[in-house]
Amino acid sequence: MRIPFSYNIRNLVVRKTTTIMTALGIALTVAVLLSVLALVNGLQTSLRSSGDPKRILVMRKGATAELTSGVTRQAFQDLKFKPGIARDSAGQPLASLEIVTVINLPSVDSEAGMNVTTRGLLQPGIEIRNLKLAEGRWFESGRRELVVGKGIAARYPDARLGGTLKFGKGEWTVVGVVDAGTGPINSEILGDLNQVAGDLNRMEGLSAMWLVAEDEITAKSLINSINDDVKLTAQAKSEVEYLEAQTSSAAPIQFIGIFVSLIMAVGSSFAAMNTMYAAVSRRAREVGTLRVLGFSKGSILTSFFLESLVLALVGGVLGCLLALPLNGLTTGVGNNLTFSEIAFNFRVGPDTMATGIVFALVMGALGGLFPARSAARKEILTALREI
Amino acid sequence: MPETVIQTRKLTKEYVREDYHVFALKEADIEIGRGEFVALMGPSGSGKSTLLHCIAAMDRPTSGEILVLGQDLSSLNERDIAHWRNVHIGFIFQSFNLIPVLSALENVELPLNLTALKKQERREHARNALELVGLGDRLHNLPRQLSGGQEQRVAIARAIVTDPDLILADEPTGNLDAASAQEVLNMLSRLNKEFGKTIVMVTHDPHAARFASKIRYLEKGELLPDGRTPADWNLPAAEATSG
Amino acid sequence: MIRHIPLIFKNAIRNRRRTLLTVASIAASFALLGTLAAMYRALFWSDPVPGQELRLMTRHRVSLTQSMPASYEQKIRAVPGVQAVSIVNWFGGTYKDEQRDRSNMFARFSTDPANFFEVRPDVKIAEDQKQAFLRNRRGAIAGKTLAAKKGWRIGERINLTGDIWPVNLELELVGTYEEATDDESLYFHHEYIRESFPQRSARRDLVGLFWIRVDSADSVPRVSKAIDTMFENSPAQTRTESELAFGLAFAAFLGNIKLFLAAICGAIVFTILLVTANTVAMSVRERKREVGILKTLGYTPSAVLSIILGEAAVISVLGGALGLFLAMVLAAGIRQGPAVFQQLKQVYITPTVALAGIAAALLIGVASSFTPAWNASRTPILTALRATD
Ligand SMILES: Nc1ncnc2c1ncn2[C@@H]1O[C@H](COP(=O)(O)OP(=O)(O)OP(=O)(O)O)[C@@H](O)[C@H]1O
Ligand SMILES: [Mg+2]
Repeated sequence: MRIPFSYNIRNLVVRKTTTIMTALGIALTVAVLLSVLALVNGLQTSLRSSGDPKRILVMRKGATAELTSGVTRQAFQDLKFKPGIARDSAGQPLASLEIVTVINLPSVDSEAGMNVTTRGLLQPGIEIRNLKLAEGRWFESGRRELVVGKGIAARYPDARLGGTLKFGKGEWTVVGVVDAGTGPINSEILGDLNQVAGDLNRMEGLSAMWLVAEDEITAKSLINSINDDVKLTAQAKSEVEYLEAQTSSAAPIQFIGIFVSLIMAVGSSFAAMNTMYAAVSRRAREVGTLRVLGFSKGSILTSFFLESLVLALVGGVLGCLLALPLNGLTTGVGNNLTFSEIAFNFRVGPDTMATGIVFALVMGALGGLFPARSAARKEILTALREI
Repeated sequence: MPETVIQTRKLTKEYVREDYHVFALKEADIEIGRGEFVALMGPSGSGKSTLLHCIAAMDRPTSGEILVLGQDLSSLNERDIAHWRNVHIGFIFQSFNLIPVLSALENVELPLNLTALKKQERREHARNALELVGLGDRLHNLPRQLSGGQEQRVAIARAIVTDPDLILADEPTGNLDAASAQEVLNMLSRLNKEFGKTIVMVTHDPHAARFASKIRYLEKGELLPDGRTPADWNLPAAEATSG
Repeated sequence: MIRHIPLIFKNAIRNRRRTLLTVASIAASFALLGTLAAMYRALFWSDPVPGQELRLMTRHRVSLTQSMPASYEQKIRAVPGVQAVSIVNWFGGTYKDEQRDRSNMFARFSTDPANFFEVRPDVKIAEDQKQAFLRNRRGAIAGKTLAAKKGWRIGERINLTGDIWPVNLELELVGTYEEATDDESLYFHHEYIRESFPQRSARRDLVGLFWIRVDSADSVPRVSKAIDTMFENSPAQTRTESELAFGLAFAAFLGNIKLFLAAICGAIVFTILLVTANTVAMSVRERKREVGILKTLGYTPSAVLSIILGEAAVISVLGGALGLFLAMVLAAGIRQGPAVFQQLKQVYITPTVALAGIAAALLIGVASSFTPAWNASRTPILTALRATD
């Protein structure tokens, strides 16, 4: 025989202050976990969704990021005509030689400013990435003109359309804003390869090469043929693979966040345990009466355990509600490979929320088990005698 | 006529709710002199406790005057009343009302914590009070380690430890067996006779009432004139007063 | 108040299981709070270690990853107040397999050893090892802790594969050093990198950082300004800041740490508030009747209030103290862990942090229980006496 569920609900409602306080404690714990998950999730979504298996990045052997890589113009000439590279409407190979550096922009968040990736690229680099302008126009070669990603325009006052940035040998004008969705270009500043390289005194010391294969299968063989080419001393990776490696940028925050929420969870389960013990001792007589009425020990255990789960569920749902406003909020973390900031949106998806609810239920289960057991174990007469 | 310590005039306490109107106390006039031992009797709900609470300033009357030890209680604020009660009143409950986590000695010491006495003196006073009630050997027992009668004696020690002028007891023997009740009543009687304490005791027990020097009856909130008993009271008043 | 202490204590341990659970719950929160506070202190409030206040770092104004001409060294040395200058380069690169063994990710710098010891007279190293390092162009010295972690001995071959500096180095460990803030780095000759580049390479004469020691702490602002002004119109402009501030810039890189720490601490404090409030509310509810008894004995509402608040304070301070103790353990763990940035080696529960923690616990205890305590103290005697639960 099962004790009606409504009995538990009514008991939670009767002790509403305690219920709310306990649930809120669980909710805060869940919210902390969810914020961290939302951050990591957002970063991963941002990096993964934009990777295209047909796009290939070529860097110096051993380099893990464009910033620390170096390639020569000669290598680019050798690479450009490898078979399997897609061509544009004019028949030119879709390959771009690029220089990547970081510049420091004054930021709203940090006095010291934030590092932003700045990329000099060739014309095909635009088509390689299917970049579409949201505002303004593209930079012209031979001029100090820049196009910025949407994320940059939003976060840095100096980098809005029409703004000027000072780096290299002079002032650069922002002439366009590009919408790269959640892709990394969203957090970058783009300019003409030769202009940028000239300003940085690095006409020869360029960073990397990007190209697009005709299709995914060609991409694989293209990567292999580049890697096997002893003359090139370069190494190719698909964009997907490259971006995947960067998701570890959020690892320190993820680590701290999960550590913090686990310890908070310990605290919250203790609090839930307290509440449930109080509920059990308050209802000792009821428990005795229920037993006299013929309810089994098992059904009493289940009943109290369920009540604890419901309590935690309320907390879990509240926690999700607390974390939900984060969804879509733009933030940035330092990229451990590119030494610059990646801007992305927090993402509180259904899967994140489900994790939060499960997390809450675990707290409820931990908090409810012992009290429920102690309720079930009470001898009928002792239970009746207690106040 | 000895000095009057309690005097009420038209003391009234009414409870008014939407569907409910009751006079717990209705225009009660009572005068109790120093050194008297008065028993308050009457059917359940007749207002005995209410009267006692008003005297101890634990409750405020709806109307009427009350003077205790020459003090008009309605003129004092909450803080002063607390202090006044600490100094002048010892209250004994039917259900003992000891603090379960404190030992007998600590329970008795409790009211002294509000006085200027030093720790040593407080201990000394509390010990004396407990010895007076015959519990000198149970100082460090917790309430649950004592019998009901012993618990009530601790409560009496607690009530007298500040040496108050007035001892108020609400059915002090209500929860006790006959032998324990006898002990408690003997003790109250001794406090009255030897130490000259004024005592007002609410009781249902005619035997207990016999220890008092005077019995006053209440009925439906009204204090019956001295010597009168409620209509359906089957106990001869004379017998009670003679004891 | 002091007279009520026995009662307060006995009340606090009345429901032992509840008190224990509450204390444990608060302790968990305080372990975190203390650790985060210690981290915050290490990052943003730490006092410089002796000698550190005299040191400055000059880097490229735009970003750490850009280099400056090595010739700046002479010009910086000429600034009045500058006692010593040394180049330092963050080499990056890889040592063995970093994916599999995280301990292979240690910091490595190329420098000019003679100047390095001038800037860092506090670095402790045996004289013969120092001489060996100065002489041997392929020599390297490692921090004691790093050497111990990796099990290196003098003579160990350390091969580094370069990335930012595209050269491969074959180093030989010639000594180990000790110093207060960081002994988990590897230092070697910058000259070795330099000569690995072809003669005409522009990168031959570029360096990442200048490490400077000035004559007194008072000169710090003046010298840093003088240096930055000097290079204002050069192609590579500079930013000169104290060693401490320089370290912070590194931390800022992980995101908005201040906000992150503050948000988490806020959530934790609020959780503690809830837990304590809940416990006090439960225990007050069970003891309403006793409030009536105390009042009958002549206790004023404020005395009752302080007794209940005292109980909450005892519980939360107990939890706080236990938590701070756990935080010490956690902090020790952090100091042992990988040096994501140097300040993490300074995460200590200092007396200030501990005191602030205890004060916070006291405050939280009082604040959280104020409502139930106030309500109980204002309950009329008779209502309180009649309460059954
Ligand atoms: N808080 C209250 N609200 C409403 N009515 C009350 C309240 N307190 C007391 N009364 C009513 O006042 C009347 C007198 O109560 P009181 O407790 O004084 O009676 P009593 O003579 O002490 O009875 P007993 O012998 O049962 O203790 C009763 O009718 C009671 O119902
Ligand atoms: Mg009564």
